[in-house]
Amino acid sequence: MSDRKTLQTEKISGHSGASPGFGMQRDFEVCKLVDTTTCIGCKACEVACVEWNDMPFGATTFDNTYQTMPETRWNFWNLIKFNEHQREDGTIQWLMRKDQCMHCADPGCLAACPADGAIVKYTNGIVDFNQENCIGCEFCVSGCPFNIPRFNPGTKKVYKCTLCSDRVGQGLEPACIKACPTGCLKFGSKDDMKFIANERARQLKENFGMEKAGVYDPQSIGGTHVIYVLHDATDPERYGGLPKNPTIPWSYTVWKWLFKPVLGTFALFGAVGVLLHYVAVGPRRPQPEPPEKEAANGNGD
Amino acid sequence: MGTAIERFDEKARRTFDSIGRTEVYKGELLRHPVYTRVLHWMVALFFFLALFSGFGIYLPWLFRWFTPVFGGGPLSRQMHPWFGVGFVFFFFLQVLNWLAPMAWTTADTKWMRGIGKIVGGKEKLDPPDTGFFNAGQKVQFWEIVGGCLAYLITGIILWAGARSFGATAVAISYVLHDLSALVMLGGIFIHIYLSTIGEPGTFQAMTRGAVSEAWAWTFHPAWYKKVTGRDPRQAYEKARQQQSGTAPKQS
Amino acid sequence: MTNGWIDIKNTDMMLIMGGNPAENHPCGFKWAIEAKLHRNAKTIVVDPRLTRTAATADMYVQIRAGSDIAFLGGMINYAILNNRIAHDYLVNYTNAAFIIKDGFKLPEDGLYSGFDAEKKTYDKSTWNYEEGGDLTGKPVVPTPVSHPAGAAKPMAPAATPPPPALPPNTAFDLSLQHPRCVFQLMKKQYERYTPEMVERITGIPQNQFLKAADLFTSVRKDGDMKKVATIIYAVGWTQHSFGTQIIRTAAMLQLLMGNVGRAGGGVNALRGHSNIQGATDMAGIFDILPGYLKMPNPNDVDLATYLKRTTPTLSKPDPWDSFNYWSNTPKFAVSFLKAMYGPAATKDNDWAFHYLPKIDRNYSWVNIWNDMYEGKIKGLFAFGMNGVMIGPDSNKNIDALKKADWLVVCEIYPDETSEFWRAPGITADDQKKINTTVYRLPGAGFAEKDGTFVNSARWLQWKNVAVPPPGEARLDQEILATIFLKVRELYQKEGGKFPDPVLNAAFPYTNPYNPSLAEVAKEVNGKALADLTDPKTNVTIKAGQQLPGFAWLKDDGTTLSGNWLYCGSWTEAGALTQRRGTDDPSGLGIYQNWAWSWPMNRRVLYNRASCDGSGKPWDPQRRQVWWDEAKQSWVGNDVPDFKADSAPKDHMGPFIMNPEGVGRLFVPLGAMADGPFPEYYEPIESPIANPLHPRQSNNPVVKRYNTDLDKYGTVEQGFNVICTTYRLTEHYHYWTKNNPMNVQLVPEPFVEVPAELADRMGIRGGEKVKVTSARSHYIAKAMVTRRIRPMKIDGKETFQIGIPIHWGFRGIAEDEGKTAKTLANQLTPTVIDPNAYTPEFKGFLVKIEKA
Repeated sequence: MSDRKTLQTEKISGHSGASPGFGMQRDFEVCKLVDTTTCIGCKACEVACVEWNDMPFGATTFDNTYQTMPETRWNFWNLIKFNEHQREDGTIQWLMRKDQCMHCADPGCLAACPADGAIVKYTNGIVDFNQENCIGCEFCVSGCPFNIPRFNPGTKKVYKCTLCSDRVGQGLEPACIKACPTGCLKFGSKDDMKFIANERARQLKENFGMEKAGVYDPQSIGGTHVIYVLHDATDPERYGGLPKNPTIPWSYTVWKWLFKPVLGTFALFGAVGVLLHYVAVGPRRPQPEPPEKEAANGNGD
Repeated sequence: MGTAIERFDEKARRTFDSIGRTEVYKGELLRHPVYTRVLHWMVALFFFLALFSGFGIYLPWLFRWFTPVFGGGPLSRQMHPWFGVGFVFFFFLQVLNWLAPMAWTTADTKWMRGIGKIVGGKEKLDPPDTGFFNAGQKVQFWEIVGGCLAYLITGIILWAGARSFGATAVAISYVLHDLSALVMLGGIFIHIYLSTIGEPGTFQAMTRGAVSEAWAWTFHPAWYKKVTGRDPRQAYEKARQQQSGTAPKQS
Repeated sequence: MTNGWIDIKNTDMMLIMGGNPAENHPCGFKWAIEAKLHRNAKTIVVDPRLTRTAATADMYVQIRAGSDIAFLGGMINYAILNNRIAHDYLVNYTNAAFIIKDGFKLPEDGLYSGFDAEKKTYDKSTWNYEEGGDLTGKPVVPTPVSHPAGAAKPMAPAATPPPPALPPNTAFDLSLQHPRCVFQLMKKQYERYTPEMVERITGIPQNQFLKAADLFTSVRKDGDMKKVATIIYAVGWTQHSFGTQIIRTAAMLQLLMGNVGRAGGGVNALRGHSNIQGATDMAGIFDILPGYLKMPNPNDVDLATYLKRTTPTLSKPDPWDSFNYWSNTPKFAVSFLKAMYGPAATKDNDWAFHYLPKIDRNYSWVNIWNDMYEGKIKGLFAFGMNGVMIGPDSNKNIDALKKADWLVVCEIYPDETSEFWRAPGITADDQKKINTTVYRLPGAGFAEKDGTFVNSARWLQWKNVAVPPPGEARLDQEILATIFLKVRELYQKEGGKFPDPVLNAAFPYTNPYNPSLAEVAKEVNGKALADLTDPKTNVTIKAGQQLPGFAWLKDDGTTLSGNWLYCGSWTEAGALTQRRGTDDPSGLGIYQNWAWSWPMNRRVLYNRASCDGSGKPWDPQRRQVWWDEAKQSWVGNDVPDFKADSAPKDHMGPFIMNPEGVGRLFVPLGAMADGPFPEYYEPIESPIANPLHPRQSNNPVVKRYNTDLDKYGTVEQGFNVICTTYRLTEHYHYWTKNNPMNVQLVPEPFVEVPAELADRMGIRGGEKVKVTSARSHYIAKAMVTRRIRPMKIDGKETFQIGIPIHWGFRGIAEDEGKTAKTLANQLTPTVIDPNAYTPEFKGFLVKIEKA
């Protein structure tokens, strides 16, 4: 991450033709690794996120949990989800998972977004919202399999974790990574993070008796640029609703990119059709058609 | 239809008639009272507002030039549902107003069978049992009724968003909403065409509220018969003979 | 910490108990994670609650708050029974082979020999080594009954017996078979801590206890010495009426298993604030002077008497050697007096020893407030301390302040102490009756001043100013110096009873009204007052130069040092505390060139013990120090914490601060008030009678206070739930309740309640509960959780609840009306550990009901 080649446009939402800036420089994909087995739920990442992004503080209320708030907010993009899971032997497992945008390889928000350039996916894998182009339709919210984008009723626009594209673009790690005291958050190339994550999962299996340990990098959406090491990869749902097989609604893929323009064109055929009818068949006039200049007299009695 | 609603409609018509005016000149028939015309144009206004603000959301890369009209993308998005509400509201009143004449009859089925000839220009006169509305108009009316329901349901889901109804509901609604818009968009071209240059003499029905008797016996013979008590064919023949006696026939 | 934070990464096994490092030391906890990642280290967490530390552990064991000695004693028993001990280490590096005087009695009935029931103290003369040399293999000869000196013989009233002393030539049995050798006594002491007994006391099911004991002691399987285990604790151990003894038990277990002095081992106290270690080193406690020199008492009529009392003499088996580093006490003391009084301290006036205050009684924190409550103390300076909140028994402390004449509070926020008169329950009429004058001084936050922090790993790290103090806030040293100079001015003008110590105190700072902390730090390090030459190396230090280390300190007034332990931190080479070198050639995380660690930059204390008798590291992979035969010197990656030229054949003990030179499994004489071995006693408020000895349930030397406010609850009175207090990772004591970011993370106070108890009470999460102790009550919302389970204590179903301490009656949530404005420490009892005087904040009795 030593150069400035890390923010390269790959595609942008709602845009036809070649995306501006595409393919100018070659690059690699970045990735954030969250090792839930070494996360201590200290919330340093939450604070770092709020501070770096200069978010206003919001009020919270006690909710019978250590979790700061039930879900992320437009001004709180990074939330550790605390879950008490009862194992089969009755003992309790206290799970902490840092919830934030997953930066999908196949981003559902981008697929759903109709606005020109409101959502950008960079070649390094970062999926970023460009609020100046956002129209606030919130389709991204329903396109996201992880329930991440949040609408700000004040600005009428949608916000989410940027993977600190502003920092990464300057060769820095995201703020949450920098703040993490235990190193359960790591940042680097996707290949490296996958390697570390798999090694860690192997270590958990071989040395710590966690036979179901594994890596969460869902292929149903082409993988993500935030990946997890889980104690039990067979049941990601227990970590505060991490979907096992996240998918993008078909309506945002098939419909939007194929039928929408095609059918839209068909509707315009309505205009063409009537025009052709006028030219070819001609209008139907009240009968009998009045003689020229005497039309008004034609129907007296 | 309950009597209470009928009374409401009638009262509305009376009230609007007492405010507005409809001049019916000699040789003309009253087509639409003030109330109907006001409703129509309110529906039309909100339809186009919703349509144009919707364009900006539907395909911004093609239609983003619409959005400045409404103050930009976010504001278009904010106002679009309200335009939709206006459209549905006024059209709902129109439905109440037109429920009776829009009822489907056997004559309509017959009319639909002969639609090819009419569209192809082979048949200059509509079938004699064509009433106040012909089957084509009724089809469009009921399509809009259905479309409005679809708009309303899917629109509310989209409006409240995935947090209230879930991502799947929004994703489905998104498609249905678009489809409904596309059907209506197609229909609006036909509607505008037929009510203007496609069938001259029609437009004034929604402006002044009156149409010529010739228009009436040509396109809505049964209605002509109903309001004048005269036979439309005879009236047509009489007019045709009068014309042919004084002037050369137009080609 | 015997070791350091980074060193935890070298461990193979962690026992985390009485501490919650993941929550309260998250940055340091990274090293525990490193050990997991890179050494496959296992973690055992023993805690009343399933904490965030426990969430990452390989094994979590829920224990009854306060029963730690029973658990650790059971571990010692398990290790001995299963031979999971470090035999060579035990024989050579501890006092296991030393023979104890006849007449010493183990506490089968809860009392050691020599108890005076009336004074509630022990005559400790039998808690001593026997004199007599090597008894290995010799038959045990019963000693005459009259043998023990002192207590056993009735003394003539006029003659004061000489204070008992350690014998210079202790008797020992290297076979560890002598029935009075420390090892056999220890074995006998902890034989009683069977898994059944552990279960009855701690509530930990036997199979779970055995699993934990097996896992922890597995590092010493088959006597293999390569692996190392560490024990990590914090105030969960200290805040008991027997806190020091819990830590002793841990130290014994670690000595037994040969884990002390070694990379990845040790007994590691996690300090709860950034500079608690520094506060302790610099005499933050009433009974010590800087560098752990003992405070003089009224019997120390002159310096010689004081030094005789406080300078230990050798006590070891004759064939062995011992460094006995405290024998240098006179050098440290005189250098300290020179730093205090400068030219006014001369040989003729005993280096102004008579200027030093002499303590006539216990001035520990709880006693200060008790004295104030009883009207004996009239004024208080509270600097960086929210006295009302930190308790125990906050109501008593508030009432104490009402009786004071004046109170000076230096703080960065308006806190509960400076506004004690606004505490809930004090009416406007009551307020009119409070005559205490409160002065509030705006201090500076930590980022607004420079100076050093001393962390848990004993590193002195210099920090720079980040931002200037806002508004009218002043640096603390400026405030203190201004007050001092004003007081000195008054003494100068008005005389007074004894003005000399104030008038003659050395205050040699460039700007005395705002002394630079760099100048202070240099003074603490110390300098030569005359030209000094080391006869061995011929190195000379000129008068006025900074001293390179405490080996240079003299007792003839030619050196000055504010704290001998810090000597070497700011030398002629500059401030070593400001070093930021990141080279670590050994890979052990020693970082010799990062900041400076006392003593003399040694990172792991007693590191000689990391080698076997011949001076070779136990584990060749973790080479800290070793004996270099060619150089005839100890060398290594760390600085040897040892006499560098003492060859292994001399058999000098690695524990150089003890006169024995070895680690103390048995603590002789008066070092501990309540027993040479730790014995399990119940907390002062306990749901059961001690199953070991029901008639002596509590610590016999613990004093209860007897003002009208000091009440202690019992189960019979309905206080049947065990309560413990703690901090959260999201908050820092009583400060961050003023910071919107922290308040956003955890907005309001709560009480952690086991789900089963909540079901029984019919409450749900978020509903308000009232927790009542014999002293007061606390109201907050319930956090109903399955992370605390019901326990069987001595067969009785018992619940524990937990209360975070952070909220009071001033702060964001408080001002918004979100809290009941009660303080957690309104509940806690005024009772203290007899050795360290720490209050019992953990494990007291309450009842809980719907509010």
